[in-house]
Amino acid sequence: MGMWIERHLKFIFLFPSIIFVLLMIAYPIGYTFYLSFFEWSMSSLQPPEWVFFDNFKALLFDDPRFWPAFFRTFYFTALALVFQTVLGVAIAILFNRKFRGNQLVKTLFLLPMVATPVAVGLVWLLIFEPSIGFANQFLNSLGINPQLWIASPEQALPSIALVDTWQWTPMITLITLAGLSSIPSEYYEAAAVDGANSWQNFWKVTFPLLLPTIFSAVLLRVIDAIKQFDLIYAMTRGGPGFSTETLNIYGFVNGFQYFKLGYTSAILVLFFMIVLGISSIIMILRKKTEVTL
Amino acid sequence: MRKAKRLTYFNYVLIILVTLIFIFPFIWMLIASFKTQAQIMSTDTALFFQPTFDNYRSVFGEHNFLTYIINSFIVAFVSTVFGLILGLPAAYAIAKYKQQKLGFVILIARIIPGISFMIPWFIIFTKLNLTDSYTALVLSHMLVGLPFIIWIMIPSFEGLPAELEDAARVDGCTLQGAFVKVLLPLVMPGIITSSLMSFILSWNNFMFALVLSGEKTKTLPIAIFNFMSYSEINWGALMAAAVIITFPIIIISLFVQRYIISGVTAGAVKG
Amino acid sequence: MKKKKTSTLLLFFIVLVSGLLFACSNGNDNGDGSVELRFIAANHPWTEAIEPLLPEFEKETGIKVKFEKYFEDQLTQKLTTEFTAGSTSIDLFMMRPLQEGKLFNLNGWVADISSYTDDADWEYGDFTDPSVNSLKADDVLFGIPIVTEREILYYRKDIFEENNIEVPKTVEELMNVAKLLNDPANDFYGFVARGQSAAAVTQFSSFLYGFGGDFFVDGKATLDTPEAIEAFQFYGDMLREYGPPGVLNMSWPQAAGLFGQGKAAMYTDADSIYPNLTDPEKSVVGDKVGFTLFPAGPNGQTPYNVTSWGLAVNSKSENKDEAMEFIKWATSKEVVAKLQDNGVPGPRQSVWDNQQGTDTFPSELVDVINQANAIGREYDRPLVIKVNDARDIIGTVIVAAIQGEDVEAAAKAANKQFQELLDDEK
Repeated sequence: MGMWIERHLKFIFLFPSIIFVLLMIAYPIGYTFYLSFFEWSMSSLQPPEWVFFDNFKALLFDDPRFWPAFFRTFYFTALALVFQTVLGVAIAILFNRKFRGNQLVKTLFLLPMVATPVAVGLVWLLIFEPSIGFANQFLNSLGINPQLWIASPEQALPSIALVDTWQWTPMITLITLAGLSSIPSEYYEAAAVDGANSWQNFWKVTFPLLLPTIFSAVLLRVIDAIKQFDLIYAMTRGGPGFSTETLNIYGFVNGFQYFKLGYTSAILVLFFMIVLGISSIIMILRKKTEVTL
Repeated sequence: MRKAKRLTYFNYVLIILVTLIFIFPFIWMLIASFKTQAQIMSTDTALFFQPTFDNYRSVFGEHNFLTYIINSFIVAFVSTVFGLILGLPAAYAIAKYKQQKLGFVILIARIIPGISFMIPWFIIFTKLNLTDSYTALVLSHMLVGLPFIIWIMIPSFEGLPAELEDAARVDGCTLQGAFVKVLLPLVMPGIITSSLMSFILSWNNFMFALVLSGEKTKTLPIAIFNFMSYSEINWGALMAAAVIITFPIIIISLFVQRYIISGVTAGAVKG
Repeated sequence: MKKKKTSTLLLFFIVLVSGLLFACSNGNDNGDGSVELRFIAANHPWTEAIEPLLPEFEKETGIKVKFEKYFEDQLTQKLTTEFTAGSTSIDLFMMRPLQEGKLFNLNGWVADISSYTDDADWEYGDFTDPSVNSLKADDVLFGIPIVTEREILYYRKDIFEENNIEVPKTVEELMNVAKLLNDPANDFYGFVARGQSAAAVTQFSSFLYGFGGDFFVDGKATLDTPEAIEAFQFYGDMLREYGPPGVLNMSWPQAAGLFGQGKAAMYTDADSIYPNLTDPEKSVVGDKVGFTLFPAGPNGQTPYNVTSWGLAVNSKSENKDEAMEFIKWATSKEVVAKLQDNGVPGPRQSVWDNQQGTDTFPSELVDVINQANAIGREYDRPLVIKVNDARDIIGTVIVAAIQGEDVEAAAKAANKQFQELLDDEK
C-alpha cells in the first residue's frame, strides 16, 4: 500500500487539487462561455435558446451601458494605480531608513490591507457623507468648499479610487521596501565613486533596479483593481446613476438582479478576456524590464 | 546593506503624519462606534463626547452578530483547512515534479474575476439545493484561498534541498511519510503565512457570500452590508459592526505581522 | 506500517470532514408529524410586528411557522432561485406585487387562492379594491395584501406657521414654497425626495401621473411624451434647485434621515415610512411633521396607492391549506388592527374606519390616507416582468433631470430602450 502510494505520489498529491480546479474553475468557465451563446433569463420559464453571437452583438453595438462601464473600469484602475504607485514608492523611500518605531509603523501600515473591504467602504461612506462627514469638515478647516464626494456622478469614481488607494498603497510600499533592501550596497558605492548625488542615485541606481519589483506590485494591483467589486458595491452599488458601474458591477447587476444569465455570461466572457489580456501585457512588460538590467 | 540615511526631524514628522493618515479611518470608525446618532450628526462633538455602548448592544442583541461571527469563522476555518489539505501536497508535487503548467492554471485562478464563476456555481448550487449551505460557501472560498496557498508554498518547497527526502528514505520513510514528517515541519513559516492569508481572504470575502449565502449561513460582510440597507442609516451601529468585523483581523495582524507581510507581498519579491 | 497510517489518516480526515459538511447543509425534517410552515419573509416592520403575535396562532391551530427573513433584493433572489429549482419546501412568502407579482404569476410559482375567499369570518370583501387588484390577474387571485402605501407630502408645520405659508395643494405651489423656504447657506433645503435613480422611480410616479403622463400605454412606451418630459423636468428642477446636495445618492433612508434632522421643509415619499419621521429616537422634528395629500398636477391629483407587500402561497407547497390558515389569521380584522396599531398601514377599509385601528396614527395622516385611498392609482412603477431593468432605464432620465442635462434627449433614449424591453416581453 505504502509503496503503491509512493509510486503514484505525483498523481495522488495532485489529484484532489486537479479535481477541484476542474470542477470549480475549468467547468464554470467553460459553462460561462457556453451560456454566452444562449438567451436565457432565469426569471422566465422559457428554456435557454441558442442565439449564437447575438449577446455579444447586442453588448458591443446596442447596449448603452456596456461601453461606459468598460471605460469606467479602466479609468478607475488607472486612477487608483497611478495614485498608489507614486505614493507607495514615495512612502517606501521615506520609510527606508533606520528609525525608532520602524516595526510599529510597518505593522500599522499593514492594517488597511487586511481590513474587510465592505467595512472599509462603509467607514469611508461616513467620512465622505456631505453634511456630517470628516472629509468636508477637513476641507472646511482649510477654507475649501465642501464637496459631494460619492454623491456626485463626477466625483464618485475618483472618491472610490481614493479609498482603494488608501487601502492598497501600503502593499506597494511593503513590496518596494522589500525590493529596496535587496539592492546590493556595492551599486551605491560605485555610484558614490562617480560622485553621484542622492537624486542621481535614485534615478540611476535605485529606480532601474527597483523597476521589476514595482512592475510586479503593479501587476498584482491591476489584477485586483480591475476586479474591484466590494468597495464599489458597498459604497454606491454603481450609482449615482450609473456613474460607478464598472464591468464587474454591471455583470453582477445583470446576473443577480436582472437574472439575464446568458447575457451576463457574455459580459463575463469579455471581462475575463480583458483581465487576462491586461495581465499578460503587464507580465510581458515586466519580463522586458528584467532583460534590460 | 547600504549605510543608514540620516533621519531629519522633517522626515520624522513626515513619517508620523503618513502613518496617522493611514490609520485615521480606523480611529474614526472606533470613535463613531461609541457615539449616538445625534452625536455623529452634530459636528461639534468630534472628539469629546459621552461614549455609549448602545451601538454594540444593538449589534449583538437585536442584530445577532454573534451568529454571523460564528458563520464567518466556520467558513474561513474550514475553507482554510481544506485548502491546506489540497494545496500542500499539490504545491509539493508541482515543486518536485516541475509541473509548471498546473502552477500556471493555479495562477490563472488568481487572475480570473471571481464573478466569472458565479453564474455556473449559482445554477449548480441551486440545482443541488446547496445555496445557503456551508458547503457552497466553503467551496467557493477555497477558490480564493487554495491558489494563494499553492502559490506561496511552491517556492517554499522548492527551497528545500532534495537530500532531505533521500535522508528520510534511508531512515525507512516512504516519500509521503517524509513529506508529512520531515518536509512539512520545515516549511511551517510558509504554512502559517498561507493559512493566515487564506483565512483573511475568506473572512473578508463579500461577493461569493452575497450570492451563495442565506439566512442560515450569512457571513459578517453580508450582515454589515444589510445593516445599511435596512431602515434609516444608523451610523453608530454600523461603525460598531465595522469594528467587530475588522477587529479580529487587526489583532491577528498585530501579532503575526511578519507572516502577513510576506503573504501580501508574495510573488512580487523573489527570495 | 506507520507510513501507511499517515496517508490513510489524511484520507480518512478528508472523508470525515466532507461528510460533516454535507450533513450540515440539509436537515429541516420535522419528526413529530405536526405541520411546520416555511415562511420566507422580508425584513420589514410588518414582520417585526407580527412575530410577537405568532404564539397566538400556533396555540390556536397547532401549526408552527418558521420565519426566514431577507432584505428586499435578496428576498427576490432567494425566491427566484428556489422556485426555479422547483422548491416544494417553501410554503408561503412575502412578495412585492408590483415588483415580482407579474413574473411569479406568469411562471406559475404562486398558487391561485381565489377559492378561499368565500370564508365569511375572514371577510375578504373588506380589503380595499386597489389593494387586492394588484394581486389579481384575470380571474386568478395569487396573494393577499398586507401592507399598503400612498405617496404623501410631509412638511414642517412649525416652519410653515412661522412664515405664514399655506400648505401647497398643487405642484406649482409646491415649487413656489420650496423656493421660498430654500436656504442652502444655512444647510436647510426647500424640498427633498429620492434622487437615487431606480429608487426614485416609484416616488416620481405620482408626479408623472399628475402631469398626465404614464410609463406606457397599450404596450407603447410613453416616457418621451410632452407630459412625461415635463414631469421629469419638474422633478429634476425641484431637487436640483431646492434639494440638498448629494440627492443623487438618496433613497428613502437618506432622504427621511435628512428630513428627520430638520434639514428640509418638505418631503414626498410613501406614507408607510412616517414612523421614521415622528419617532423621537430617529428624528428631531417628531412633533412638527405635517401630513398632506400629494399635490395636484396640471392633470389632477393622482398619488399612487399601492399594495407594497402581499402574502402568497407556493404553488408547489404541500401545505397549502395550512398556509392559507396562516394568511387568513395574519390578515384577519383583529390582527390587521393590531399591526396597524404598530404603525403598519394595512389593506382593510374597516380598520381604517375604526377608531382603534387608527389610534396610533396621527389623525391628520389618517385623513390623508383615507382621501388618497379613494383617488390613488394602483401602481407606482411600470407593470412589467423585468421591473428592475425598467426602473434602471427610467432612473436615467430622473438622474439626467436632476443634473440639469437635456431631459428630452435622455427621455427619448430611455423610451427607446424601454420600448425594446416591452417588445421583448410580448
